[in-house]
This record gives sequence, structure tokens and C-alpha cells, in this order.
Amino acid sequence: MVDKVRWHTRAGIAATALLGVAGLTACGSGGGDDDGTLSMVVWGGDAEKETYQQRVDLIEAENPDIEIELQLIPSDQYEQKVQTMISGGDGPDIMQVAENVNSYSSKNQLVPLDEYIESSGLDMEQRFGPAGDLYSFEDQTFAVPDRSGAMVVFYNKDLFDAAGVEYPTAAWTQDDAHAAMEQLTVPGEQWGYGGAGWWAQWWSFAYQNGGQIIDDEGQPTANSPEVAEALQWANDLAHVDHVVPTPAEYADMGPDLGGDQAFAAQTVAMNTTGFWGIIGLAEADFNWGIAPMWQNEQQAVTGFGSGLAVTRDSENPEKAFEAIELLTDVEAQQVLIDNALDVPANLEVQQSDAFLHPEWAPEDLNMGAFGESSEFIIRAPFIPEWNEMMAAFDDNLGTFWNEGGDAQTELDKVQTQLESIIE
Amino acid sequence: MTTTVDEAPGAVRPARRAGRRRPKMSKRRKKEAFFFWLFISPWLIGFVGFLLGPMIASVYISLTEWDSFTPPEWVGLDNYAKALTEDPIFWKALWNTFFYAAISVPLGLVIGVWLANLLNKRVRGRKLFRTFIYLPTLVPLVATAMVFKMVLAPSGPFNDMLGWFGIEGPQWLLSATWIKPALIILSVWGAGAATVLLLSAMNGIPRELYEAAEIDGASAWRQFWAVTFPQITPVIFFNLIMGLIGAFQIFSQVYILAPNNNVGGPDNASQMMVTMLFQEAFSFYHFGYASAVAWLLFLVIMTFTVIAFRTSRKWVFYETEVR
Repeated sequence: MVDKVRWHTRAGIAATALLGVAGLTACGSGGGDDDGTLSMVVWGGDAEKETYQQRVDLIEAENPDIEIELQLIPSDQYEQKVQTMISGGDGPDIMQVAENVNSYSSKNQLVPLDEYIESSGLDMEQRFGPAGDLYSFEDQTFAVPDRSGAMVVFYNKDLFDAAGVEYPTAAWTQDDAHAAMEQLTVPGEQWGYGGAGWWAQWWSFAYQNGGQIIDDEGQPTANSPEVAEALQWANDLAHVDHVVPTPAEYADMGPDLGGDQAFAAQTVAMNTTGFWGIIGLAEADFNWGIAPMWQNEQQAVTGFGSGLAVTRDSENPEKAFEAIELLTDVEAQQVLIDNALDVPANLEVQQSDAFLHPEWAPEDLNMGAFGESSEFIIRAPFIPEWNEMMAAFDDNLGTFWNEGGDAQTELDKVQTQLESIIE
Repeated sequence: MTTTVDEAPGAVRPARRAGRRRPKMSKRRKKEAFFFWLFISPWLIGFVGFLLGPMIASVYISLTEWDSFTPPEWVGLDNYAKALTEDPIFWKALWNTFFYAAISVPLGLVIGVWLANLLNKRVRGRKLFRTFIYLPTLVPLVATAMVFKMVLAPSGPFNDMLGWFGIEGPQWLLSATWIKPALIILSVWGAGAATVLLLSAMNGIPRELYEAAEIDGASAWRQFWAVTFPQITPVIFFNLIMGLIGAFQIFSQVYILAPNNNVGGPDNASQMMVTMLFQEAFSFYHFGYASAVAWLLFLVIMTFTVIAFRTSRKWVFYETEVR
């Protein structure tokens, strides 16, 4: 006779285990919808949600066979969320990618788009200029540029006028910038420049010196004399020349405060940042302008942008690409300007009157600075180990930025670490 | 296995089972067993599916190299070897976590006991003070961290206060030396949670013990050590274990407080075990390595918990055990 208690127990355990396993496998077999709806993930907040939705609505209205379900993910969770979706087998059809693009492409998670680009007749070079092959990895294209704007110099015209300094131009050298910063500094009160502690900022100077973080062969060259010189210059502005607030001085101004906020508060006279700075200054009650980045041995500046890619999980990559093609076409890109979200990657839109004289910008704002800068945007090394590379810089340079020091010594440490990361 | 099974309601009690076969279950027992499994199932399914399953999976993953996208590649114990012999950051994170736990947990307990003892006195506005002490626990961590960034700013209020005593405050969050003490200060700020538990334990101590001590001429200090302290040791012990586990798993505080969103802090000075494994898994795509770190952390926590339990016989006093 079967022992009932034992049987019940075993049945209970077995059922639980089965349910548990079922629960686990369910996560693994999500799959896309079969009804042809494309899923698309982008990062950002309310402003991004509105803009992307408008763009999606626009192309849906004109192409009845395309239907896109848009999902917004807060920026700081984007990578984890998308990673979880993809490894769960439920990746989106279309995803937004940026510096981290090759973490995905190198692991076979993105569909190479070259074939689709060719058959659609899309001329990447013509539509996007030098940015066209920004998202290539091992001779394959993995994303189409969507947003793309260079870092520009924001300057406070009132403070410049008061100090009798000429406004910055692309012709400025690092020395000119340095001289201006000194003239614009009032010790303890006002600083000439917001600082260059962010990679996008000091890397621009390194490339201006002719340096590279990763060379053309893919090997790290982070401790080359050109890079070290740029880093030393950038950090000395704060700790030696005192024309830039030190991190301690920033921390005293408020939590999580940086150059963007300090510029808006007129605490710093110049700041180098991206397009979003314009929106941040919409309510500023002082006169300000933008100019292309200064130079040194050559012109170089970091660009900010993002592209759209198709993931391996897409059931209909062809249609997904079609949607991307439409989203990066003139009409849908125009929405980016109308909503003042970002610089459109599409050159035709970037050079259009709508972009050069938008209604939301101060009348005389030199929007052409973005177009001008796009000529010399650096090709930042989008290596698959991008996040690790960032951490190597952050970890090793933390004390250096906070307290000052010798750039070469710190970069030697970074270089050693990069060599072990990039095998 | 069978013994645990027999614990289930509806199962046969040991006394009746002795020496013979189990009798057939009565209808009531069957019903009881059915409801037992019914009511326990949400937890059981959750445990097996969402905790035990992933735990077993992570043992396997820790023996592989897995980027979460492509199929895992078997590497044996390489990940463990890498953590223990090659990766300097692992040892640094382990040391940081240990440093944090070793100071914040005892310090939190001492302050908790001290506050509870104060609040147990018959003072005016006692209820108000009790509320205030517990309030920090209710403030969301993100809000707390933002305030702490201001309070611990190089020329912030905290350093101003130190200045009154002639101490020149450090740069706290910006300094590789002081970021861990800053995290400890943040943890001590939340000591009120332990205070509430300790306070209720103190309230449960019979008055007559104090009366007897008083008659014997014991001072207030002596009363605390001879009466109050032994009586609250079980709660202290509970707080110690929970505190240890919590401290070794510190994550959010570091994540929010570290300057410029760089979890490691200056020179990895605030890199903790959990922040490190989070970074390895979700930022660097080294799931195998992160799983290995997680299991090593498990061993560390386990060791300290066992030590705490072993030594507890010597100092934790249970009234029921008095013979």
C-alpha cells in the first residue's frame, strides 16, 4: 500500500519543483509577438517619450503596415533592462545604442544591417556624413545614426564683456582658451571654465594633441605623451591654475552639481557640453552663446549621439530596418528639432533652416556650431569593453581629479589595466 | 527527509508512530494536509522557482564564462582562482566590506543600546524622542544620500561642526581615506531601527529585578550591566546577525553616495562586494565571475554568522534556559 502521507508529500514537492522550473523556462521563451508589431526600446524621460512617440506616430500614419510599440526605460537602468530582455530571449526589435554598441554587436546580439542598407538604397555617407560608419564593428554596420551632436563651448556673453575678453571661436587654441579662463576668473567666486573631468571633455583635448585612447590597431595608447599632456592640462586648470572649480568646490555648491549647473548659475564663464545645455539655459537671464570647440595641433571634439539597431531576437529584421530607415529620414528627424530634444543625425535636417534658426533658441544663437563641429568629431573607440574601459579611467583617476597629481603616473596605471581588459 | 515531512500538520505524531506502521490517514488529516500544501505553496513555489533555482543555476554559472548573451563556456574553478589570486579589486572590495561591517555593526549596536537605555528613562517628551529616533529609518535612502552629500561636502555643515572643535574636516566622499567612514556615519544615522527593538526588550524586563538590585545597593551602572544587559542580549544578538548580513551586502548606499556615479569611488576605496559583483555582471558582462564573487561573499557571510552563533552561548542569555 502506498503510504498516503509520503505520497502527498512527494506529489507536493514534485508539483512545486515542476512549477518552479516552468516559471524559469517561461522567462526563457517569451519571444516576440506574431502580429507583426515591432517593439522598440529607447532610454530617457518624459521629453524623450513624447518625442519618440511623435516620430513613431508619424511614420505609422504614412506606412500602415508598420506598427511600433515604444518602450521608454530610464537611462540609468537601460543597459541592465535590455540585457535582461535579450538574455531572456525576449529582446526588442529595435533598440537605441550608443558608446556601448559593440558590447552587443561583438556578442552577436545585433543584426548586421549592410544587406538591408544596400537593398533599400540608403546612402549612409550622404545622409549622415562621417557619422555614417560610427556604429561599424569589424566591417559590418550594426546601427543607423539617429541623434548626433558635437560637444560645443557655451560661453556667458555678459561675463566675457565685463572682462573684456573676445568670444571663443573654433580658431582658439588651448593656450587662447587658457588665457581667457584666467581673465574670467575671480578667485573664490567665479571661474573661467566648468572643467574637463568627464571623458568626453578631456579626451577631446587628447585628440587635439594628436593622441588616441585606443589606436587604429585596437591597442590601448592611454599613456602616450599626447594623452598625458592633455590630462595634465585639464586637471591643472583646477588644481594649479584655479580657473576651474575643484571637485571639492563643486561639492560645496550642492549635491551632484557640475559644469552645466554652474554655468547656468553664472559661476563659471565657459562650459563644454552637448546640445542639452541649450534647453537647460532656456530660462537663463543672462546672454550666452555657443561656439565650436577650440583646438590645439588639430581640431578635435567628442560627439554625443545614439543610433538605432535591430536585435537578433527580431522576427522581422527587414521590417525593423524599414522602420529605422523612416525614423532617420527627414520628416521624422525634424521632430527632434521641433521638440528641442537633440541634434538630428540626418545632415539634411542638420543643415535645414529649421535647425539653424529654431524658435526655441535665442535669436542670434550660432546653431551652425554643431554642423561646423561635425567635420572634426573624433571617432571615439567604441570597443566591446567600453564599460570596463570607463571604469578603469574612473577608478584610477578618482583621486587624481579630486586632489591633483601627475597625469603620466596615473595613465600608466590605466594603461596597464586597459591592456589586461583588451586582450 | 522523513522527519521534516512528519512535521507537517496532518502527519502522524512521533509518539503514536513508535514501533508500528503508520495508520491510514483520517479524512480530517487528509484535508489538513491538503490545506497545508495549499497555503504553503505560494512561498514554496516562490522559493524553488525564484530563489533555489537561480541559486543552483548560479553555482553552475560561476564555473563558466558567460556574458549573458552567448552560450556559457565551462572554465571550471577559473573564476574562483581569478578572484582569489589575480584580481586586486576583489581583495580591495573584500577588505572594504569587512572594514565597513567590522565598524558599522558594533558601532550601530552600541549606539542603539545607548539610545534605547536613554529612551527607557522616565523623561519628559519621551514619546517624542522615540519617534525622532526612529524617523531616519523611514526616510527613503535616496533622499538621505542626497542630504548626506550636502552635509558631508568639504565645507558643509558637518565639517563646520568639526571646525568648532578645532578639527579640520576631510573631504569625506571625495577622499579615498574618508569615504568608508562617511558610509559608516550614514549607517549609524539609521541606528534607530535597532533602538526600537532594544527598547521593547528593555520594557519587558520585570521591575522586581531592578528592585532587588536596588535593595542590594547596586548603582545605576551596575544595574545596567547586571540586569538590563543580560536581559536584552537575545535582541542584541538578533541585531548583530541581521546587521552583519546587511553590512556585508551593502549596496544602495555606495551606489548613491559615490561621487560622479562611479561606484568604486576614488581608487576603488568604496568598492564593496555587492557593488563589485553588480558591476561585473551588469556592466562588464562577466556573469560567471560575478557569480563566483557572489558565492565567495556567501562563504564570508556564512563564516561570520557561524562565528557569531558559536560565541553566542557565552554571552547571550535566554531566560528559558535557566535551570
